[in-house]
Amino acid sequence: MRKISTILAVVFSLIMGYSVQAQDDISPERKLAIDSLALEKVRDLSKYVSIIGNKSTPWSEANRVIDRAEELFMAGAEMGVSSLASPEVKYYNVRQYFERLMRLNYDRVEIEWFKIEYVSDLQRQPDGTYVGVITIFQKFSAYDKEGGLVYEDTTKKDITVYVKRKETQIGGRIIGFWDVLLGDIRVKETSK
Amino acid sequence: MNQSNLYKMMTKQKLLPAIKQFTLVLMIALVSLGGATGCKSKKKLAQEQAAAEYSSKVEMAKKDLNSMLDGTDSWSLAEKEQRFKTIKSWNLEDTEVQALLDKVEDKLARERADAERKTEEERLRKEEESRLKTEANKYDPLENYFRAIAASPDQETANEKIAGAMQLFATPDVPVLIIISQAGGFNDYDRPTTISKYLDYLKDQKVYNNRIQQVKYDANKRITELELIKK
Repeated sequence: MRKISTILAVVFSLIMGYSVQAQDDISPERKLAIDSLALEKVRDLSKYVSIIGNKSTPWSEANRVIDRAEELFMAGAEMGVSSLASPEVKYYNVRQYFERLMRLNYDRVEIEWFKIEYVSDLQRQPDGTYVGVITIFQKFSAYDKEGGLVYEDTTKKDITVYVKRKETQIGGRIIGFWDVLLGDIRVKETSK
Repeated sequence: MNQSNLYKMMTKQKLLPAIKQFTLVLMIALVSLGGATGCKSKKKLAQEQAAAEYSSKVEMAKKDLNSMLDGTDSWSLAEKEQRFKTIKSWNLEDTEVQALLDKVEDKLARERADAERKTEEERLRKEEESRLKTEANKYDPLENYFRAIAASPDQETANEKIAGAMQLFATPDVPVLIIISQAGGFNDYDRPTTISKYLDYLKDQKVYNNRIQQVKYDANKRITELELIKK
């Protein structure tokens, strides 16, 4: 009886081991899909930042978009803010950052993100999370009532991206999904 | 009149009818003989003509059957079948022609089966194409809403389209699953969202780059689950 239990335990551990191994080794096609998904989340954020910063966005709409944007981040993630006027980089909780962005004291604000690309590919960590860094360039332009440009800078920022496989139950079936969460957004350089 | 003259006159009177009778018999014989000879040559001519015609048919049959066998003809299958039928109807008793007929019959049967198979395949392909088109089009109303929301020029228009689209769903919390890749028989999904959030997402991002993969409905024909796939 003891012998049978030992054999069963070995077989079970082999099956489980194979299953874990199968989960770990994702095909290049799946990896590519995950890479694209993470990039897409950063592009989504880019659009949200632009909507929140836009002075013509109604307050309620901007708040709704802040909620959506916040969902892209890990809890406690921070956003770096820089200015040409000071070498200091201030870090805010993402919710605070978006609320400050919404209330900027300009008549018109344009925020554009470009050159969104990986600087460090997604790498699998021992806990199964894939971590990578995506860099973006942000062009910030602020205008006064007369439409004159009063401030403009371009900031290079690095966004840490975390991708983890999770499961949830929907309609009685288990759905395996890749959860992409953005971490801190660090300012790398600011120029005119 | 002397006796000798009388004798001559009497002989002449006896011979004349005999000569007339002989001439008549001779003429009948000649006519009969001449007729028989003419009939005999006509029959021979006809026989020769028939033989030539038969020989020509045999040659033609061999030529046509061989070209059908080696594929050098330019006939359609129906034309070949018609030609085969015609040649067979000649009932030529030539062994080579008979052998060729057997071979061509086999070949035409194969070609017919092949043509029928191709026709059936084409029919099934068209049927499948039509089914897929119908299948793809069945989600058109919803796809059109998604495209219209993403393409809305302003928030007001987008919100009107969202309100219209929401009518198709059982609740605003209907789950929306987005497949990001398919491999080895299972799907990889993005983080599940709700239809309310997804429609807002289309409005905010102004891009619809998915297509509908699967829809589940309740008894009221309202959508209870939506599965999309990245294009």
